[in-house]
Amino acid sequence: METLRNKARELLASKTVQMVIGYGRGSGEAAPARAVFIRAAAEAESLIFDASCQQNLAVYLMKPEVRQLGKAALVATPSALRTILQLAAENQVKDHDLLALAVDAQGEVTPLATLQTIEAHVAALDCNLSAGEKTELQKYVALDPEQRRQFWQEEFARCLKCYACRGACPLCYCSRCTVECNQPQWIPVPAHDLGNLEWNVMRAMHLAGRCVNCGDCSRACPVGIPLYLLNQRLLSEVLANFNFRSGMAAKADNAMSTFKPDDPEDFIR
Amino acid sequence: MARIGVFICHCGENISATVDVAKVAAAAAKIPGVVHSVDYKYMCSDPGQQMVSSAIKEKNLTGVVVAACSPRMHEPTFRRACAEAGLNPFLCEMANIREHCSWVHEKGEATTNKAIDIVRTLVAKVKKNKALLPIKVPVTKTALVLGGGIAGIQASLDIANSGHKVILVEKEPSIGGHMSQLSETFPTLDCSQCILTPRMVEVAQNPNITLYSYAELESLEGFIGNFKARIRKKARSLDEKLCTGCGLCCQKCPTKKIASDFDAGLGMRPAIYVPFPQAVPNKPVIDREHCTYYLKGKCRLCEKVCPTQAIRFDQADEIVEVEVGAVVMATGFDIKHGDFFPEYGYGNYRDVIDGLQFERMASASGPTLGEMRRPSDGKVPEIVVFIACAGSRDPAKGIEYCSKICCMYTAKHAMLYRHKVHHGKPYVFYMDIRAGGKMYEEFVRRAIEEDGVQYIRGRVSRIYERGGKLIVKGADTLLGARPMEIEADMVVLATAGVANPGAEALAQKVHISYDSHHFYSEAHPKLRPVETNTAGIFLAGACQAPKDIPESVAQASGAAAKVAALFSQDELIREPLIAVVDRQAPPLYSTCVGCFLCQTSCPYQAIEKEEIRGRDGQLIKTVAKVNPGLCQGCGTCVALCRSKSIDIQGFSHEQVYAEVLALLNRGESDV
Ligand SMILES: Cc1cc2nc3c(=O)[nH]c(=O)nc-3n(C[C@H](O)[C@H](O)[C@H](O)COP(=O)(O)OP(=O)(O)OC[C@H]3O[C@@H](n4cnc5c(N)ncnc54)[C@H](O)[C@@H]3O)c2cc1C
Ligand code: SF4
Ligand code: SF4
Ligand code: SF4
Repeated sequence: METLRNKARELLASKTVQMVIGYGRGSGEAAPARAVFIRAAAEAESLIFDASCQQNLAVYLMKPEVRQLGKAALVATPSALRTILQLAAENQVKDHDLLALAVDAQGEVTPLATLQTIEAHVAALDCNLSAGEKTELQKYVALDPEQRRQFWQEEFARCLKCYACRGACPLCYCSRCTVECNQPQWIPVPAHDLGNLEWNVMRAMHLAGRCVNCGDCSRACPVGIPLYLLNQRLLSEVLANFNFRSGMAAKADNAMSTFKPDDPEDFIR
Repeated sequence: MARIGVFICHCGENISATVDVAKVAAAAAKIPGVVHSVDYKYMCSDPGQQMVSSAIKEKNLTGVVVAACSPRMHEPTFRRACAEAGLNPFLCEMANIREHCSWVHEKGEATTNKAIDIVRTLVAKVKKNKALLPIKVPVTKTALVLGGGIAGIQASLDIANSGHKVILVEKEPSIGGHMSQLSETFPTLDCSQCILTPRMVEVAQNPNITLYSYAELESLEGFIGNFKARIRKKARSLDEKLCTGCGLCCQKCPTKKIASDFDAGLGMRPAIYVPFPQAVPNKPVIDREHCTYYLKGKCRLCEKVCPTQAIRFDQADEIVEVEVGAVVMATGFDIKHGDFFPEYGYGNYRDVIDGLQFERMASASGPTLGEMRRPSDGKVPEIVVFIACAGSRDPAKGIEYCSKICCMYTAKHAMLYRHKVHHGKPYVFYMDIRAGGKMYEEFVRRAIEEDGVQYIRGRVSRIYERGGKLIVKGADTLLGARPMEIEADMVVLATAGVANPGAEALAQKVHISYDSHHFYSEAHPKLRPVETNTAGIFLAGACQAPKDIPESVAQASGAAAKVAALFSQDELIREPLIAVVDRQAPPLYSTCVGCFLCQTSCPYQAIEKEEIRGRDGQLIKTVAKVNPGLCQGCGTCVALCRSKSIDIQGFSHEQVYAEVLALLNRGESDV
């Protein structure tokens, strides 16, 4: 933890960056970690890093109000590193736009200044679904289509259309989301069955081949809808059918918009 | 307020026989916004068009719906009529109540109701239409012709002679294609080389034609009038400017036993070779796969004997970039080879040959100098069996189509054989004889009646060898399927005509469609036979389907006429039905977030980056922009853009949505 704080102090003091985006302690007992924006070396002691630090801080890279504060160093979990690469592949961040401070469970800090070093770092990580995730996904996939429809109908019935999932997702960065289009109104505004289904299907599809499985959408959801099931299903399909994993390279062909003659395409034949 | 006019066409009886047109007109009149609704026998006729234009003027229409046939047919007609009456042509829509309704349903109330629904959707759409202006693009007046067979040669000459530049690309060392391999040609039996080689020379000498032989297309980008092609000139291993074509190198090359493709494997050629003496250009190439120097690092004999020091062992492939306005595909066809017929022993017994091998055998310039000598032992075959439809019209073999040329060339082969071996006995097994064409039936009758070719209607089930003879087992279906057995000395299979092995890859490279057999698809089987669905790319010859020389030449001239027509204007008018990325007031400028995922999806490379800058030149935002010249309006990017920042003019989200809603929201009483 101290290594991290020292690094932050050094970066701010030397004006290498204008801000360190990291984790701080939330208020209240057993509070989860929350994002902090450290802009002076003296504030660096509020930085923490422990098992409660799960949020994908890369989401802030896309917020205009954060962006205008200048170059940031970002305390980055593996998901955040993959997000940075995915954002680069989508032309949203450029090399040297930011400095990633990769942290691991031991509190080890690795500064990664270029997209290339991030790529190398990510390549060494295990980006497969965890054993627990796999088991849960298999259970879900084993449902027949009718059971799956019922399952989602019950889950989505709770959706409030609060769009917290969208706000938490680092890859939902459009300045005007489809739900906000009213000429025509693609997605009905009220939180009824049809509108909720359309919204959630659309959100998931817009992340197909892009989602890095950070899990923040599901964590943000106030009514506990297991959105990760949709995301993980899609990302395993994209991997199986197009041999593509998002967030691994700063320049990548987007799985959903590119055609390769050797794509297996087993779903068409 | 919208003031829409609806015009219902009877199409003679094509529509009115199953749809109650008067009822459709009455129902349309009740749709909000419709101020004029009539029906008429032939809307596309002069009086019909007159009805549209007078209504526009008299009723001050803001939009027109013509409910008739497919827009593919008459949309231009009615758009023109609207424009003449002063209404922007893109405020006119067609409701297809023929192909989509009257032709596919029985007469009845439901059919009429469907027609009303179709009209209703189009009225909803046209209310959201916006006036659009056509797009003008410049035209590069140079044509690219791919393939130098007779079709490519003819197309090149016709285009060149109409005063335009042509770039002809041939993948083999010489132009000529399959025709250069043929001996004599049906239905006149004139010598193929004699009529072809003068054309080949004409190509070489025409100042408007640039020939790249031993070259292939590397890539093609762009759009009608404005293509950019990259051509790979494969290394000939020789300086073409220095080479005089004396042929010393070919004579001296010590590696001589390479099966000649030109002789269909019946003859041999050296490692440095010209495919045939009349080749254009008459310059050799080194076949690096067989040349001793490339294989073992030693030899270079040709280099020593070349009087002009033209040999270049270290020559590399060269890429040439050219700009062209139109492309003619003339890459021809191939015939089935190899082990496609295990039951006939083709590829196994040396005396079972295919049609092209027979052509080379019969050709005076071929490996046997035109004498009939069977490949196994060089003996003159006394009994020859010709099998038509070897593979063609055989769904079990995966080729259900008729190859069209085989009936005729089989008759020719049997005849040529008889002319060369007077006492020989030719048999032809056939399914039926297809000899449609000028002098074609007469030609086949001549083979049967004058040259004594014995035609047997039936299929051959098996061929096997016994004591130096080929035993052909079949049945004569005209004699009650009586089993037949012929002891033949040689068998000639008229194997199916198929697409070139590289046809699919090439089609994908130039973005044209092809059928399930990889023959290139014409834009319309009847009315647009020389055009592809990709504007500016035309078809000539056997790359579209197996066909004979007269047909190939006719199609080539047709394609050339299309190219010449395209090149007759300096600018091309294109429909403005293209994608646009939205622009908004500052500070947003556009809802596009510049992810450029759309760019990767566009099959026509039409999406560019645009930098939006402030007055001080400071970069504010980089957003997508559609190049109106390149966009084909396919809509792929529209489907992909998450923020719905792209829209197709004329098929906007709003328009399509309005159409869907018009259907969903119609009350039962509306029907
Ligand atoms: C056995 C036999 C006998 C026949 N006898 C007769 C007859 O007597 N009378 C008659 O009218 N017709 C006859 N035909 C039909 C005749 O051969 C065809 O009609 C004619 O060859 C078609 O011409 P084409 O230019 O379309 O194709 P092709 O002759 O196949 O020429 C295509 C050319 O394109 C080149 N090419 C291919 N791919 C590429 C590429 N990717 N890039 C650049 N170049 C490429 C090829 O090398 C070739 O030179 C016969 C056919 C066969 C098989
Ligand atoms: S969809 Fe959910 S899991 Fe995927 S990147 Fe966005 S927030 Fe993370
Ligand atoms: S997909 Fe949409 S948001 Fe992304 S660059 Fe293209 S137009 Fe812009
Ligand atoms: S509609 Fe979009 S994807 Fe299609 S050609 Fe135009 S720009 Fe490209």
